[in-house]
Amino acid sequence: MGRPPTFITTPILALTAGLVAGSSQAADLVWARYGDIDSLDPHRATSTLSMQVWDQIYETLLAFDGEGKPQPHIAKSWVVSDDGLDYTFELQEGVLCHDSTPFDANDVKFTVDRAFDESNPSLTKTSWGPISAVEVVDDLTVKFTFESKFGPFLPFLADSFSSMVCDSNDPETFGSSTGIGAGPFKLVEWVKGDTVSLAKNPDYTNYGRPFDNKGPVNVDGLIVKTVPEAQTRLAGLTTGEIHIAEPPFDDIPAIKESGELEIMVAENTGQNVFWEFAISRPPFDDIRARQAVAYATDPELAIDIIYGGLSQREWCPIARGVFGNDQEFCAQYGYPYDPEKAKALLAELGYSTDNPLETTMFVWTGGNRHKLAEIFQNQLSQVGIKVAIEIMDIGTMNARVKEQNETTDETPGTFDMMTWSWYDPDILYALWHSPGAYSGYNTPELDVMLEETRTTIDPEARLEKVQAVIKHLMENAVHVGLYTPGWEWVFAVRPEVSGLKIGAFLHPMFNDVTIKE
Amino acid sequence: MASIAPTTIAENVHGELAGFWLRLVKSPTGLIGLLIVLTLIATALFAVWIAPFDPLQMGAGPRLQPPSAQYWFGTDDFGRDLFSRVVYGARLTLQIGVIAVGISLTSGLLLGLVAGYAGGWTERVLMRLVDVLFSFTEIVIALACLAILGIGLTNAMIAIGIASIPFYARVTHSVVLVEKGKPYFEAGIAAGAGHVRMIFLHLLPNVVPTLIVVGTLGISTAVLAAAGLSFLGLGAQPPEPEWGFMLSSSRDLISRAPWMMIFPGSAIAITVLGFNLLGDGIREVLDPRQVMR
Amino acid sequence: MIRYIIQRVLAALVTIWITTIAVTLLIHAVPGDPVRIMYAKFQSTPEQIEAVRIALGLDQPIYIQYGLYVSRLFQGDLGRSIVGDQPVLDILLTRFPPTLLLATTSLVIAVVIGLSLGFLAAYKRGTVIDVGAMVLAVLGVSIPHFWLGLLLLFFFALQLGWLPVAGSDLRSLILPALTLGLANAAVLARLTRSAMIDIFDQDFVRTARAKGLPKTMVLYRHALRAGLVPIVSMMGLQFAYMMGGAIVVENVFAWNGVGRLAIEAVFARDYPLIQGFILFFATVIVLVSLVIDLLYAVLDPRIRYS
Repeated sequence: MGRPPTFITTPILALTAGLVAGSSQAADLVWARYGDIDSLDPHRATSTLSMQVWDQIYETLLAFDGEGKPQPHIAKSWVVSDDGLDYTFELQEGVLCHDSTPFDANDVKFTVDRAFDESNPSLTKTSWGPISAVEVVDDLTVKFTFESKFGPFLPFLADSFSSMVCDSNDPETFGSSTGIGAGPFKLVEWVKGDTVSLAKNPDYTNYGRPFDNKGPVNVDGLIVKTVPEAQTRLAGLTTGEIHIAEPPFDDIPAIKESGELEIMVAENTGQNVFWEFAISRPPFDDIRARQAVAYATDPELAIDIIYGGLSQREWCPIARGVFGNDQEFCAQYGYPYDPEKAKALLAELGYSTDNPLETTMFVWTGGNRHKLAEIFQNQLSQVGIKVAIEIMDIGTMNARVKEQNETTDETPGTFDMMTWSWYDPDILYALWHSPGAYSGYNTPELDVMLEETRTTIDPEARLEKVQAVIKHLMENAVHVGLYTPGWEWVFAVRPEVSGLKIGAFLHPMFNDVTIKE
Repeated sequence: MASIAPTTIAENVHGELAGFWLRLVKSPTGLIGLLIVLTLIATALFAVWIAPFDPLQMGAGPRLQPPSAQYWFGTDDFGRDLFSRVVYGARLTLQIGVIAVGISLTSGLLLGLVAGYAGGWTERVLMRLVDVLFSFTEIVIALACLAILGIGLTNAMIAIGIASIPFYARVTHSVVLVEKGKPYFEAGIAAGAGHVRMIFLHLLPNVVPTLIVVGTLGISTAVLAAAGLSFLGLGAQPPEPEWGFMLSSSRDLISRAPWMMIFPGSAIAITVLGFNLLGDGIREVLDPRQVMR
Repeated sequence: MIRYIIQRVLAALVTIWITTIAVTLLIHAVPGDPVRIMYAKFQSTPEQIEAVRIALGLDQPIYIQYGLYVSRLFQGDLGRSIVGDQPVLDILLTRFPPTLLLATTSLVIAVVIGLSLGFLAAYKRGTVIDVGAMVLAVLGVSIPHFWLGLLLLFFFALQLGWLPVAGSDLRSLILPALTLGLANAAVLARLTRSAMIDIFDQDFVRTARAKGLPKTMVLYRHALRAGLVPIVSMMGLQFAYMMGGAIVVENVFAWNGVGRLAIEAVFARDYPLIQGFILFFATVIVLVSLVIDLLYAVLDPRIRYS
C-alpha cells in the first residue's frame, strides 16, 4: 500500500496545525480567567474582566501607587486652578501609540470627547465628573474645565475606566477587533470567547507605575485565555500550559500544602458584593420585602463554606480600604442574620412558607457564585421566599438589572447580587444619583447628599457626608453589603513565574514578570 | 393468538393482553427491563417514604461525606443527602420521559399518518420538511427551542419533545406505507370508507404496536437528552435534584467526592437501560423480525 | 446511477434551502422583542435599537428579510455575533474544524470497535461471546456519554494521570474521541450484528459455502461486502449523531469546538450566531451525508446499474 496519498495527509496536517497554531510561543505568559472581555473599547464595558485587559493595552494619565494613591504617569505634572475648576496637565514627551503615531494631548481630547459623545456616551461617563470642556493647549499640554468642583477626578485618571485611546483607531473595528493604545502590550488578536493575544510593546516606558521595570516588559507576549471550568484551569496550571489562573476554591488548601503553585491573594481590592433590588414594582418596592431578604440570608456562613477564610463579611456599601469604610458604623444599620425577623416582615406582606414570595435572583458567572447562590436560595426558602436563580455573564447581568428597573409590567420584581469595585466612595454617586447606573432607586434627598460628597473637599467634612449616604442606603435596604473580596482575587502562579504584582483595586500587572526556563 | 373462538371482543383482547404479558416476562430482556422500570415507577411514587432526608435540606449531614451507614450515597458539597436526592430525581426523570415522549409521539404520529395517508404533494412536502429537521439533529433543534423559549426544565422537556417529532413522524410514515400496500387497505378504499374511518379504524391500530416499541425506547432517549441538557445547565435549575444537573455539580469535585458523580450517573444509566430492555422485549414479543433503529 | 446522483444532489440542495428559510424564521419565534433581548447587554438607547432593527431588516416583511439573508449569505456575510461583535462566519470557521476533527475521529473509533464487535457477535452467534458482546453493547447504549466522559476523565486523567484533562492538541483529543466513539460503537455493534446475521442467513452465502469455498473467504469477500451496504447507508446518520454528541462531550473536556460555542450562544441569546450555527451544522451534515450516499451508490450494485 505504501504511504497514504498526500491529499489525505496534507489536510490532516493542516487541520492539526490549525489547532496548534493559535498556541503561544515559548516566552509568552499565559493567563487563564473564567470569562472573556466584553469589549476592547473602554467606553463600552464595565466588567473587571474587560478592565484587566485594558490595563495592558492602554495607558492612563496618572497611576496608582502601591497604596492606591494617584501619582504622575503619562501626565508628568499638573496645575489646578484656585477655584478647583481647571486642571492643566503636562504630558511626557515621546510617548508612542502602538502604531507608532505619537501619543499626545490630541489623543487625550479624543478620548474624553468620545466618552462624552451625546449620541453614544461612555458607560462610565459619570465617573469623569462634570467636565464641560477639554482643550489642547499644545501637543503636550491639555486642559480640563469643570462645571463644578469634583474631588475624585485625580484618582479617576489613574483608573482603567479613564484609559486613553489613541485617535488613530479605526472607528469601524475599534472595540471589536482592534484597539490601539500606548500600554505595555499591543493587541495581536481577539478570538471571541477564547483568547486575547497580546505582544510586547518594544517602545514602552514606565513613567509612574509602581514597578521595578522602567522599560518594556520582559515577556514576549501575554495570552489571556478564557477557561470557565476551574478544574480545567487547575489542570493547565499543573501541566504548565497555563502560568497564572484562579484555582478551584475547594482545592486551595491542598495546593497551599503541596506547594506546587504559589497562591497570591489580592489585597485592597476595593470590591464589594451586595444585594440590590428592582424597586420599580412589587415586591421590592416595599422596604419590608427588601429587609426580609437581608435578614433571611447569612453571608458569613455562605462565604465560609465556599471561600474558607479568603473572603470577609462586609457591612458597608463600599469596601475595606476605601475612604468612608467603617465596619462598626455600618453594622449599626446593617441586617444581621435573623430568619424570624424576616418571617415577621413577610407575614406583614401576606407571605409565608406555605404561600411563598416568588422572585428571581440574578448572579454572575464564575467564582463558585452559583454555589453561593444555592446556599442563599436555600436560606430564603426557609423563611418563605421562593427564588429562581439566573446566572449570566456580568455584562448581561448589568443590562438585565437595568431592564428590570425600567420595566413597569406585572412580572414580579427581581433582585441581584451585584458587584462593583471602586477606589473611592464616588461609586455611590455613580450608582445611586439619578438616573442611576441601573435606573434604580433614587430620591431627591439622596441626590443632594450625593452631590455634597462630590463637592466637599475637606476630608473630615466629606466623611460625614459619605456616612450620611451610607446610612440612607442601608436603612432603606437599597444597597446591602455582603462580602469582600468577591471575584478573581486569588491567583495560583506557576513556580517558574516571578514578579507578578496585583496592584490596588485588583489590577494584575505583568511589567516585572519573568519566566524562568 | 387464541385458537378457540372467544365469545366477546373484550375476552379476545383480554386473552391477547394476558398472552402479551406472559411472553414479555418470559424473555430475559423483557423481564429485566420491566423490573427496572417498575422499580423506577415505585421509587418515584413512594419517594416521600423511601427518602430518609429532605433532598433540599442543606446540612442534613456534614459536607462531602463518602457513603456510610447513615448517608447511603454520601453527601454533596452542601451537606445534602445524595440518596434522597437521587430518589426524588426519579420523579423528575419519569416526568421528563413521559411528557417529552408524549409531545413527540402524538405530534409525530399525526404528521406521519397524514403524510402517509394523503400521499402526493402533501406527503412529499411534509416528509421533505421532516428530512430537513432530521438533518439538524435532535440536539440542535432542542438548542434552538431553548434559545427561543429560554432555559429551564419545563422548556427542556418541550424542546426535547419537539426535537424528536421528526423521528416519530418518519417511523409512523414508513409503517403507514407498508400498511397501504396491504389488501385490506385497498379493499377499504374500494368499499368507499371515509378518510377518518380509514385512518383511525384501520391504519392506527396497525401503527400502534410499532409505536409502543419506539415510544418505550424513546423514553430512554428523552431521559438521556434531558440529562444532557441539564448537565449543560440548560435544563434543570437549582435546587432541583435532577440527575443530569447533579452530574454537572459533581464536575469540580470528581477527585474529592467521586460518589457525587457515580450515583446520579448510574441512576441515569440504569433507567435508560431499563427502558431500552423493556422496549427490546416488547419488540421481540410483538414482532420478532422487525429491525427498528 | 447518474439519475441517482442528480436526485441526491438536488435533495441536498433543497434541504439546505429549506434550512435557510427555517433559520430566518427562527428570530420571529422569539416571544418578545428579539432585538431588545439581543442588545440588552449594551444598554443601548431606543434609537440605537431601532437602528439595529433596520440594519437587520427586521422591520421589513418576511420575504424581503429572507431575500436579504440569502443575498448576504452569498457574500459570505452571516451577520455579527452580539457578544464581541465579530463576524459570525469567522467565528464558525475557527470553531468548526475542532468539532469536525472530534466527530470524525470518534466515528472512526466507533466504526472500528462497533463493526468488529458486531461482526464477531454475528459470527459466533448464540455463544457466550455473542451474549457478552451484546450485553456490552446494550450497556454502551444506555450510558450517558457525558457520564462516560466524566468516568474516563476521572480514571485516565485525574487518577492515573496518563492523559490531559483538557487542551487543544492531539493528546487531548483521545479522551473525548474515546468517549463519543465508545458510546456509538455500541449502537453500531448492534446494527452490524443484525445486518450480518441477515446476510449469513441469505442464500448466496450458503451457496458459496456449498461450492466449497473456505469459511474465511466467504466471510471476507461476500458477506462483508454485502453487509457493508446497509452499514454505510447508516454512516450519514451516525456522523450526524457524532456531531450532535460532540456538543455535549466538548463541554466535559473543554474541547474548543463549535459545541461549546453553541451552548454559550443559547445562554447569551446570541441569535445571529445561533442562526449561523444551525445553518453551518445542518449544511455540514447534509454534505457529509451526500458524500456517504454517493459512496453507498458505488458500493450497492443495485443502484449502480440502474
